[in-house]
Amino acid sequence: MIRKIISGNEAVALGVKLARVGVTGIYPITPQTTIIEKLAEMRAKGEIETEILRVESEHSAMAATFGAALGGVRAFTATASQGLLYMHEMVWWVAGSRVPVVMVVGTRAVGAPWNIWNEHTDFTSERDSGWIMAFASNPQEALDLTLQAFRISEDERVFLPMMVGMDGFILSHTKTNVLIPDQDQVDDFLPPRRQPYVIDPEDPIGMGNIFPPEGYMRLRESIDSALRNSEDVIKEIGREYNKKINPLGDYSTLNVSYKLEDADYAVVLMGAWAGDAMEAVDTLREKGIKIGMLRIRYLRPWSEKEIRSALKDKKAVLALDRSTSFGRGGGPLYVEIKSTISDVVPQIKGVVSGLGGVTVNKSDLVYIFNKFVEGLKDDVIWYYPKEVGKIELRTPRDIE
Amino acid sequence: MSLGLREILNKHNGILSGTSACPGCPENMAMRMLGMGLGKDVVLVVVAGCSSVIQGNAPYNAYNFPTVNVAFAAGPATAAGLARAYKQRGKNATVVVWAGDGGSADIGFASLSGAAERNDNILYLTVDNEAYMNSGGQRSGSTPFGAITTTTPEGKKENKKNLPLLMIAHNVPYVATASVGYPHDYIEKLKRAKQVEGFRYVHVLTPDPYGWLFDPSKTAEVAKLAVQTCYWPLFEYYNGKLNISPESLHCLDKRTRRPVRDFLSIQGRFKRLTEDQIKILEQYIDSVWEKLKSMLDNQ
Ligand code: SF4
Repeated sequence: MIRKIISGNEAVALGVKLARVGVTGIYPITPQTTIIEKLAEMRAKGEIETEILRVESEHSAMAATFGAALGGVRAFTATASQGLLYMHEMVWWVAGSRVPVVMVVGTRAVGAPWNIWNEHTDFTSERDSGWIMAFASNPQEALDLTLQAFRISEDERVFLPMMVGMDGFILSHTKTNVLIPDQDQVDDFLPPRRQPYVIDPEDPIGMGNIFPPEGYMRLRESIDSALRNSEDVIKEIGREYNKKINPLGDYSTLNVSYKLEDADYAVVLMGAWAGDAMEAVDTLREKGIKIGMLRIRYLRPWSEKEIRSALKDKKAVLALDRSTSFGRGGGPLYVEIKSTISDVVPQIKGVVSGLGGVTVNKSDLVYIFNKFVEGLKDDVIWYYPKEVGKIELRTPRDIE
Repeated sequence: MSLGLREILNKHNGILSGTSACPGCPENMAMRMLGMGLGKDVVLVVVAGCSSVIQGNAPYNAYNFPTVNVAFAAGPATAAGLARAYKQRGKNATVVVWAGDGGSADIGFASLSGAAERNDNILYLTVDNEAYMNSGGQRSGSTPFGAITTTTPEGKKENKKNLPLLMIAHNVPYVATASVGYPHDYIEKLKRAKQVEGFRYVHVLTPDPYGWLFDPSKTAEVAKLAVQTCYWPLFEYYNGKLNISPESLHCLDKRTRRPVRDFLSIQGRFKRLTEDQIKILEQYIDSVWEKLKSMLDNQ
């Protein structure tokens, strides 16, 4: 095991190497591009055996990855934003096929208008697709979750594809200290690939042809129950990962609590800004305010059990979304949290911020958390940091 | 089938009984012949189209090959992924994409072009019934000028997109055209394509009784007329060289071509064509043959 200062994207590329991936379908899109560049570079140097399939679109990147997975090898791809939306059809096709595949999403805003900066909406928009969905909060976790993703996805109790999200630029391009496991450690943790069926030339099975309505509906139900039952599998694999690979990480739960136990107030969020949020929690705690944080690490499965027991006795809960669910005011976390705890928590509020790369720093979070504890009038607010000010939207009609 | 093909047929029957195809279905014929041409060690990737339906409902499947069904535009990339997986596992397999003209000329064209440019080790087959027949016969990029479809009730205003020539322009190792009216020629070409490494493209004309509006007993006859009237040229492009297939050699000289009217009049979809419009179609056929001839002259 060694330590190295590397970016989230490099950490993921190393994870792919260590997982002995057979085929990678690649197509560039900011901010994940340096993952696939790194893989291509490692392949050119002969450091990895992975076949690199340089396809002509993200739709094909997912299709190529799907084909390779059906053909019996470990398969990986990475994307973001428009790319994820472009492959959306294949994302669903892969889940419906119950074939293990791993993808990393370096999250980014969705157009129009063009915006290459961080936001989670690309990732969260796939929450109904039938994939296991984890989200990292630092480069170490991006590596750890990528390795665990192969194991979880290929577990016979799951057999579903898994995607790992990480904040574009904030994690993908920021270098931090990362613990990189040795190949033997990973080989010990990650057994040879398993999958529910392999398409082999000598075995004339068919997959994906027309299912009559009842069979189709049963298949959909099987995806739902596999996803919900994956919770225990994820914890079991997480514990093994703690033991065999990263004793410093804690993967024995799906989601991560910070100073929640005695808290009256709780903030729920996902991704990299958890770091600033923990500092903001500490600042409020210094003033005697009992506040804590719950970081959603798994958007799917959505652990109702964990989330309810973490939040059930709170006076008020604030869901902080870096993502939108248009027409619902708040973002997806707000909607999910409300549906999970509204019978036990009297006040649930939502803040949407950080969209399209809007920088939300610790002082903003301190401000938001204070306002929340004082009592927000509205159920949901869209917060613009002071530096950004109020942005005037100009429509074509205004310009006339 | 009484074409002296029994011997080959027995080697590998590509299609089993109990398909959901319409009577007289040309795609059924093309699939049966695929088995005769390629034999075993074949994996099929089928994109959306009549062939997604013809194979029947799960848990059964009438295709006697391992079959992967996939979204409309995803055939070539899925096949490329499979081919790479087999390469990694040291398995011998011919991965075949089976797509209709809509899947090839329209929605899947970028993916087809990408796989060709990369020279992925797959065999791509276009079964061309010249419209979106599975959804009821809407025009595609491969529908010919003048043909009535459900979305061109007045007759299509544009010429057919010439996919085989486009694939030759991609510089791939092997391109061939075929017609279900000439099984020997088609099967020979499949056999040759199987031996080639890299990207192979075979485009087979599959006249559809229900979209082209002719009697279902006449599928093979219409498929022959398409070739005899030089509407559908049969050729092979191999090792950088174009070869006109024997069935089409007479087309090189305009005087020996059978009149295209013989092909048009047997179908209902051209019934509104005026004399002037038939001329436009003839000009298109001429232009294709001029291109082929100039390629022959320059090689
Ligand atoms: S519509 Fe045509 S191609 Fe499709 S199944 Fe029927 S006969 Fe075959």
